[in-house]
Amino acid sequence: MDWNIVQLVLWLIAGIVSFYFSIGNARVWTSIAVGFGLILLGELLPQAMPFLPGASSPQIEAMSYILGTISILVMSHGFQEYYVFSRTLELEGNKLLVYVATLGVIFASMIFILINPAPTPSTLKVIRVVEDTNWVFLSLINIDLIRKIYINVKDSPISKGFIAFMLVFVFIFLWRGSELYIQVYDLANPDVSRLFPFRYELSQICSNVGNLLAGLSVGGTFIYLARLLR
Amino acid sequence: MILLPRGNPVKENIDPGKVQLPDALQKLQKGNFTGYLRFDTTRGVGILIYDKGRLISALFEGASEREIAYDAIALIFECSLAGNANLNIYRLSSELAMSIHALLHGQVLYKGQEVKLLDIRGLLGKMKEDRITGCLRIYTSDHIALIFYREGNPLGFFHDGSTDLEKSAENSLSVAKLPGAKIDVLTAQISEEATMADLQASADIRALWQKAHENVTRDKRSREAEVARSLEEREKDRRQKVLGLLKGVAEKSLGRIGAQLADKEFNRAMNGQGVVSEVVLEDFYQRLGKAAKLVAGPTTVKQMVDEMQRGIKALMKTD
Repeated sequence: MDWNIVQLVLWLIAGIVSFYFSIGNARVWTSIAVGFGLILLGELLPQAMPFLPGASSPQIEAMSYILGTISILVMSHGFQEYYVFSRTLELEGNKLLVYVATLGVIFASMIFILINPAPTPSTLKVIRVVEDTNWVFLSLINIDLIRKIYINVKDSPISKGFIAFMLVFVFIFLWRGSELYIQVYDLANPDVSRLFPFRYELSQICSNVGNLLAGLSVGGTFIYLARLLR
Repeated sequence: MILLPRGNPVKENIDPGKVQLPDALQKLQKGNFTGYLRFDTTRGVGILIYDKGRLISALFEGASEREIAYDAIALIFECSLAGNANLNIYRLSSELAMSIHALLHGQVLYKGQEVKLLDIRGLLGKMKEDRITGCLRIYTSDHIALIFYREGNPLGFFHDGSTDLEKSAENSLSVAKLPGAKIDVLTAQISEEATMADLQASADIRALWQKAHENVTRDKRSREAEVARSLEEREKDRRQKVLGLLKGVAEKSLGRIGAQLADKEFNRAMNGQGVVSEVVLEDFYQRLGKAAKLVAGPTTVKQMVDEMQRGIKALMKTD
């Protein structure tokens, strides 16, 4: 079974569902949905590179990692906003501002990549480590934040959706944590993986299963949320 | 209730609250007026009797109070200023004015005796025998006649429209023939006019008027404050009931956060207003609907708002 294709299909579904959800619902969901939607781009780009002529440039690969970083930051910001709302019952801002600000950050990142020298494999590795580090630590923070949100909105129609989100971040933690472990210990290097074959294999399995379950749970969670918010 | 025949009317049906009474009384004094002023007020009846420009008698009689002299004048002023009072001024002869004064301050021997059940001849004989000085008051609901006696002998008759003691008994006795006529027997000390003090000369009428003004204003303010306080209390109670209902429905639909949202949005919609109006409720539904979308779908929100509207409607009906 080709893990990459399955993962890509699942993220495609999750991305479309979350973007669609961001359009039809309250403003506070925009950042969360846009963040999850961006994962699709971050996942799609590296997978699509072999099939797109001229797209194998290191700048595009660097951009896909940056998109991944932006996506976790945007969705974490969304959960923070929801937490503030659940505590203070106050909500400000508008949807357009979220879209425009996200696009602005993506555009600024592109400019940053383009005005700097082409990223070397070592630079790309660092950018990817930064991305995975953000994902790992913000996943943990988000799990705690969502737990607090759940306590605040307990008994409301949406409350069970937050339990689903906690599950999503557990899977994401598994996926990105395994990847980070592989990168930090350079386990993808054949010389190293030969010395620690079990650790490498286990990390790879965790990463793939985590990725699969994360994609599956994100799509499922947004469909579940859409039903709860009917 | 003071029962007196109407004399010769000088002015009738005046609102004494709209008259500067000290000035009016001064005019009567300067004009050597003889007669009486009758004040029908919500608290009782006030009578001021003048004899040749001298205020010889003041009486106020209510359901549970009877004041004379300065206290009566003060009370008449207060009741006049309080509103819903009626003033009638009647001219009388000096003799009649004195007789009326004596009657008002006299004692009731018999009260409300049915004429048709009474042995009038026997009663008159008894009055003569006991040498009673006083008055026989014969009245129905519309007419009154007085027969004055001095030491058992009739002095004269006074009925509606007369200005002087009349010698003819015809008009007075015609009242006794009316269906439902009653008789009071009153005794009185008929004073000599020279001995009567002038209340207007010995009292500071303007000061009494001013004091009455202050009392009425204070009472009015206090009543208004009481009404406002009671209205405020009632509205506060209503506000609490409305908020309780809204929070209850919101909690049922959205959980604890629903009750919190309802509380917050209600206070915002009220925006310091004291009254829960339709406009306030509409604003509240809009605000809550918007905020509730963060924790529930449009169907749940609509059902919640519908239930709130039904609840409020029922609450308004019972209030």
